Amino acid sequence: MDIPYTTTNRPDTGLYNAKIGIWLFLASEVMLFGGLFSSYIFLRIGADFHWPVHELQVLPGFINTLVLILSSVTVVMAWANLKMRKIAQYKLCMWITILCAGVFMCLKAYEYYGKFNHIGVKLTDGTILTGHFPEGGYRVKLEEGTKVTINLKTGDPSYFLKWVTTENPKFKNAAGEDVLLDQQGSVMSLLDVFLPGDWDKSSFGQLKRTMAEAKKTSVELTAVTPLTIVAKESKTFGHTGKTITFRDGTIVEGRAVEDKMTLQVDKVDVRAALDEEKSLAWHYLGDEWKKAFEEHGTEEAEKHKSFDKNDERFLRHVKQMEIHAPTVAEHNAKHGGAKHSAETHAPAEGAHGAEGHGSHYPEVVLERKDIGFWSSFTPKWNNYYAIYFTLTGLHGLHVVAGALVLAYFLLFDGKRLKEDPEHLANRIEVGGLFWHFVDLVWIFLFPLLYLL
Amino acid sequence: MSADNHEDLQQHVQKYKKIGWLLAIFTVITVALSFWELPTHGLNIIVGMIVAAFKASLVGLIFMHLNHERSLIYKVLVFTLVFVIGLFVLTYYSHEHPLVFKDFDGYTSGH
Repeated sequence: MDIPYTTTNRPDTGLYNAKIGIWLFLASEVMLFGGLFSSYIFLRIGADFHWPVHELQVLPGFINTLVLILSSVTVVMAWANLKMRKIAQYKLCMWITILCAGVFMCLKAYEYYGKFNHIGVKLTDGTILTGHFPEGGYRVKLEEGTKVTINLKTGDPSYFLKWVTTENPKFKNAAGEDVLLDQQGSVMSLLDVFLPGDWDKSSFGQLKRTMAEAKKTSVELTAVTPLTIVAKESKTFGHTGKTITFRDGTIVEGRAVEDKMTLQVDKVDVRAALDEEKSLAWHYLGDEWKKAFEEHGTEEAEKHKSFDKNDERFLRHVKQMEIHAPTVAEHNAKHGGAKHSAETHAPAEGAHGAEGHGSHYPEVVLERKDIGFWSSFTPKWNNYYAIYFTLTGLHGLHVVAGALVLAYFLLFDGKRLKEDPEHLANRIEVGGLFWHFVDLVWIFLFPLLYLL
Repeated sequence: MSADNHEDLQQHVQKYKKIGWLLAIFTVITVALSFWELPTHGLNIIVGMIVAAFKASLVGLIFMHLNHERSLIYKVLVFTLVFVIGLFVLTYYSHEHPLVFKDFDGYTSGH
């Protein structure tokens, strides 16, 4: 039986059925995104932190906006060309649309990657330092006797061993026998220790079955040597100083003998500091940077003197400073601070000269007691990032879904193109309507998240 | 909407290109406006949203053909609009006047 009203309009509605379908769907989508935009307003009004403005890089967002506009033009042109039976142009327009979706998602991935690897540290006095871990993660040295529990249902030793920087770490099992794991942490070799005997070691499925039969779900090891762990934040659930829980369920518990955070600082924000003069930032970065910060503040205050001193924008310009170089002199030179002396400064106290590492930023080693909270720029950091990832993530899923549907029409609907192009044109129109809606949502997202 | 006429469609294509350029220009304007600090940031947000609403209406009216659609679609959209406004009002209301059950256990009534 043929589906009715795919090309002709239904007499009572005056529309082909798919079109009513897509509009009803889009109505529900408006409610979905409307709810989220409403949440955005709610979170912004109720924010107990300085709402970030111009904190995301504008350029990728700007390019993505243009890319989506281009794709909106090409998808509607694809439809018009198909209506006119200009098949080559129709196909070209469809390919450009799908390519645009790819470019959009690549830029999105680039942005997300940047956020996942950018760290914010709220010091106990309210000062915020942002930057990067030079070693890729927070470095903790745990004393010998550290207990490692590996959840064999969800993970394997290779996961946590990747982040252990100790050379040849040694472990004992519950029976007190030595277990030597190589840095690759072969699952098989570990299980051989815990599940001795003859069993088929050729497949992971067999391994799981063997484990199930032995009723083993976890393996407990005790480190005989001190363990130094430098884990990417995205690989752990949390980090209490005593316990590190990895994303695969591995739990490392021990006493930290070295628990300091090495951070390459790229921004100082004293807007929430109790006393910006005595901010902990200067304890770590030193007086040279404090002076540079104050000079920066004076310059910015002069530029924005028309603003009220409590205006959020005044504070944004005056009370935070981006750092562009490892030393004050280089920073000033880069930042056009010609009036500062060009002499080279010795690295400030607490700020290790990072030139040796090829770093672009001053490096500080923060004491645990001074760190109130730290996180990468993910929903954990604040509600702005929570709503940013929710909105852009959901929007990104729509981009992928829309591109898949359009790609299907282009690549797998060849028969319809030959036999019933009018029906295909209607399908493209419906897919296009969804695509325009995705563009329309982005038109609001871009200014709200990147600009305002 | 059915623009079956070849010439009409040809004209439409030209129009789509023009609208595309217009949207790109307004994107540049949106970015530029965000760096121009108006007396209050609230004004910046309002201006930004007006430009965004204008861009969105171009997409809706021209690309999504809402400038000449059947009445049924408008009816669907009017309903959606009413519900969305309701959603925003509820959020606003819950923020400004959180729902409080007065005399509930005598807790908030001040007895």
